[in-house]
Amino acid sequence: MRIESLDQFEALKAQSLENEANRKQQVLVCCGTGCLASGSKKVAEAFADEIAKRSMDATVDLFVKSTGCHGFCERGPLVVLNPQGILYTKVKPGRVEEIVEKTLVGGEVIPGLLYKDPVSGERVEQYGEVPFYRHQVRVAMRNIGRVDPTDILDAISQGAYSGVAKALFEMTPHEVIGEVATSGQRGRGGAGFNTARKWQACKDAPGERCYVLCNGDEGDPGAFKDRSIMEGDPHSVIEGMIIGAYAVRTNEGFIYVRDEYPLAVVNLTIAIREARKYGLLGENIMGSGFDFDIKISRGGGAFVCGESSALMRSLEGKTGEPRAKYVHSTDKGLFDLPTVLNNVETWAGIGAIIDRGGAWFASMGTERSKGTKAFSLVGKVKNTGLIELPMGTTLRHIIYDIGGGILKDRPFKAVQTGGPSGGCVPEELLDLPVDYEELTEAGSMMGSGGMIVMDDRTCMVDVSRFFLAFLEEESCGKCTPCREGLKQMLHVYDRIIADKGIDGDIELIEKLAAGMQLGSLCELGKSAPNPVLSTLRYFRSEYEAHISDHACPAGVCRELTAFEIIEDECDGCHLCFKACPVDAITGVVKELHLIDHEACISCGACLDVCPTDSIRTFPKHEGARFNNV
Amino acid sequence: MPTLTVNGRRVTVDSDATLLDAARAAGVEVPTLCQFDGLEPWGGCRLCVVDMSQANWDDDWFKVVTACNHPVEEGMTVVTDSERIIETRRVVLDLLLARCPDTPLIQRLALEYGIERTSYTPNPEPDDCILCGLCTRVCDHIGVSAISSINRGWGREIAPPFNEPPPDCIGCLACAEICPTDCIPYETSNARREIWGKEFEMLRDPKTGEAVITKEQAQHFAERSGVPVTYFETSDRSKRREMAKTFEKLQVVK
Amino acid sequence: MAETLCSDLSKAEEILERYPPEEPALIQVLQDVHRAYNYLPCDVLERVAEALDVPLAKVFSVSTFYKAFSLEPQGDTIVKVCTGTACHIRGAGQLVEELERQLGVGPDETTEDFKFTIKTVNCVGACAMAPLVIVGEQYFGSAKPAKVSKYLAEGCADEN
Repeated sequence: MRIESLDQFEALKAQSLENEANRKQQVLVCCGTGCLASGSKKVAEAFADEIAKRSMDATVDLFVKSTGCHGFCERGPLVVLNPQGILYTKVKPGRVEEIVEKTLVGGEVIPGLLYKDPVSGERVEQYGEVPFYRHQVRVAMRNIGRVDPTDILDAISQGAYSGVAKALFEMTPHEVIGEVATSGQRGRGGAGFNTARKWQACKDAPGERCYVLCNGDEGDPGAFKDRSIMEGDPHSVIEGMIIGAYAVRTNEGFIYVRDEYPLAVVNLTIAIREARKYGLLGENIMGSGFDFDIKISRGGGAFVCGESSALMRSLEGKTGEPRAKYVHSTDKGLFDLPTVLNNVETWAGIGAIIDRGGAWFASMGTERSKGTKAFSLVGKVKNTGLIELPMGTTLRHIIYDIGGGILKDRPFKAVQTGGPSGGCVPEELLDLPVDYEELTEAGSMMGSGGMIVMDDRTCMVDVSRFFLAFLEEESCGKCTPCREGLKQMLHVYDRIIADKGIDGDIELIEKLAAGMQLGSLCELGKSAPNPVLSTLRYFRSEYEAHISDHACPAGVCRELTAFEIIEDECDGCHLCFKACPVDAITGVVKELHLIDHEACISCGACLDVCPTDSIRTFPKHEGARFNNV
Repeated sequence: MPTLTVNGRRVTVDSDATLLDAARAAGVEVPTLCQFDGLEPWGGCRLCVVDMSQANWDDDWFKVVTACNHPVEEGMTVVTDSERIIETRRVVLDLLLARCPDTPLIQRLALEYGIERTSYTPNPEPDDCILCGLCTRVCDHIGVSAISSINRGWGREIAPPFNEPPPDCIGCLACAEICPTDCIPYETSNARREIWGKEFEMLRDPKTGEAVITKEQAQHFAERSGVPVTYFETSDRSKRREMAKTFEKLQVVK
Repeated sequence: MAETLCSDLSKAEEILERYPPEEPALIQVLQDVHRAYNYLPCDVLERVAEALDVPLAKVFSVSTFYKAFSLEPQGDTIVKVCTGTACHIRGAGQLVEELERQLGVGPDETTEDFKFTIKTVNCVGACAMAPLVIVGEQYFGSAKPAKVSKYLAEGCADEN
């Protein structure tokens, strides 16, 4: 049924809200990629089975909703019960019967399924009280975890397309851009360019035709906010693009989704189909007279296609080679026409900005970085997942209060932000407020919001090498400094890590880094030296240890590191024996275990599982102080 | 017609000129590898980098850009030999020397910038291809597109489809001629022409019997120009002879 | 073609009918072709070049540029190990090594019986479940080298 007037839209929304209000109980099962990997689909099915078994009415008595990613992936499968507001974690299909019986029917909480705070040891019942969620302010991710991404009516009842209604019926395109300008929103893909300015530039560009594009090529390893938005609330992206298209006066839009996100493609396809069905995409949207439609284009597996000119080339069916940036995409972009390219999270925020006003958005954040930002907090932190917070929140607050601190309470070493274009922020800067300029000044970058927490078992030389190897594979190869420079820098790092580092290597790296920063054609090459330079800035001594002392202080680089079991501390639990992939450990239960240094490949699996901290690393060239086989 | 300064010298150039055009007009030499007059600039080799400041920028605010494709603007200041520009070119040549240590052109250019041996790890299996893209670009330009760059990153190469003799190649040899390091092998004689593993049938001049052009190339040009194929199979020598015959009818004016 | 291929072109024709016959459709067509044939056969690519009016050399260039495409036949089941940053520091390397040990092939290689192809992927966006192994369509989060044989068995069973 096509919505052909504002009244019809409001009526549909009211009807959907009423349907929801009539439901006695709702069970929200997280079906984002993370929880799916933990088997949440079977959990949802188990609830459906229970409903059938008890002859309940699935629309009124107990409504099961599969939602998008709640963000707390490691605690999944996640289930939220409404109206109680209870969050159950690590739910297995086998416990569903108990949940229905005890909690939904009996009104009793099951403590074993509640989130346990790693710091206080207490069980938290309410979803809203769990520290991971309590501190969040969700704008771009406002509906993820609350709506069924495949049900447009559910999305509408939670506010989707209300921004579109307001823009199309109450505002002129000029006023829309004005509202976005008031919000101060900056691009959430990493570059942080002012959204309103970009839209205005496209609007001012000469010509009849232009495009709005969504960059869904989230390639930064460690970042998955865009995936969660596309999978969990695709309507927020569509809504944003309709508003943007109205503002710059175009009827055509594309969403470019990377190849590695199949569920995002599926859910976006369903959402677009539904939107067309209800007259929210296509001709005469909501009866406003405005036409706009969206096509989905899939990437081919290339990180460089996250770069705007490379993305456009890919949309044109070509290789993802970036183009010189003298001509702005807002003048000549896709098919040489003016184009607005914005990130998924940027688009997802627009609907809320129009609905609640730019001033509301600007009331959050810092002076130069307004609003909220999504972060993926991963790595050696206890609570890993996806969060959205006001800009200006400190790294310390994120890592310790929300993240729960370092895994196994090991010492914090650094947090890497901004992906392969970013840098590592050390402990002394933990009170840094997260903001575009602050991170850049610290030698890192906001990037798309990936935050990878590292402990003392992370070697910063190895981390830099990792990013170089990643970029070397992803370089398009067009320009000399990036194509050759990444390969050569990798050679130097491989030497250093293999205990073949020589005096002058650091200077060689720095010289090459400068050449790449100034000479490369696009940001991939220009920012590739960032992880290198930031680790040299804060962890230079680690490099020197590798080169001059033939040691890897973190005990990671295999050519430089050997392992030994401390006699007095080993309690013979036998876990290392089981973990060793090459059977280099001998020992019987309850007795001291020994490492055979001939067979040992220095992978560290034993140290990672040892519960008594009895396994230590030492520089390979020194003799073992303790046992030898 | 905008006016700008290059290394302190003022020049006025066409509005669609590039910084490279401006430098040349000012008599300033900027090294290039992937640039070729008549082909769209590509900006891949990065050797032609210069420091540029726009009219409305602070006096000491410069940006490193490639001269071959950056448009000129009124009041721009261009410096082609600042310290960081020279150093950046040095890094580019040092890297190219690592990829192509045995290539005379690169050895010569690197030496001009003070590099005798590369600071980096030399290519264990070097060839002369500097990946300037001129061959594929000229092939695209004449509307054939028989070869292309394949793979990405360091493994990038110039190759025909599937590394087989390219079906679309017309045997014009433009790619081999334009290659700055002469690294595209071919054979051409009165008897045969072969390039990229493809053999070509030569059209012969009906009067002299000499091989003039490949059949494919003649057809390609004939289709695009509307001129009959037979025009192309006449050798230049035969054309000149025909022309000379008409000179008898000319009167010399005294 | 050197290995005179004779692919069943009817699948390709079906795919080509779904898209406008022009260059912008190329990557989408190649993805559908890749899914239908489990790789990009060269005779199919010739047909695609013809149908979309794109020079064969450009089709080949695009086919070799993007990581999603293989020009060699792949195994029945693709085993992907995510090697993104979070997975890397949580031991993705050990997973790749274990897979190599068990299957005898490394990344981008296919087992002799064409059962498995191993691939490394630069981040699948499930970073909170690091490290990750994907067997076919099944995701295995918080993966451990000791459980690799279990993942291989389960992932295959799922496909049947």
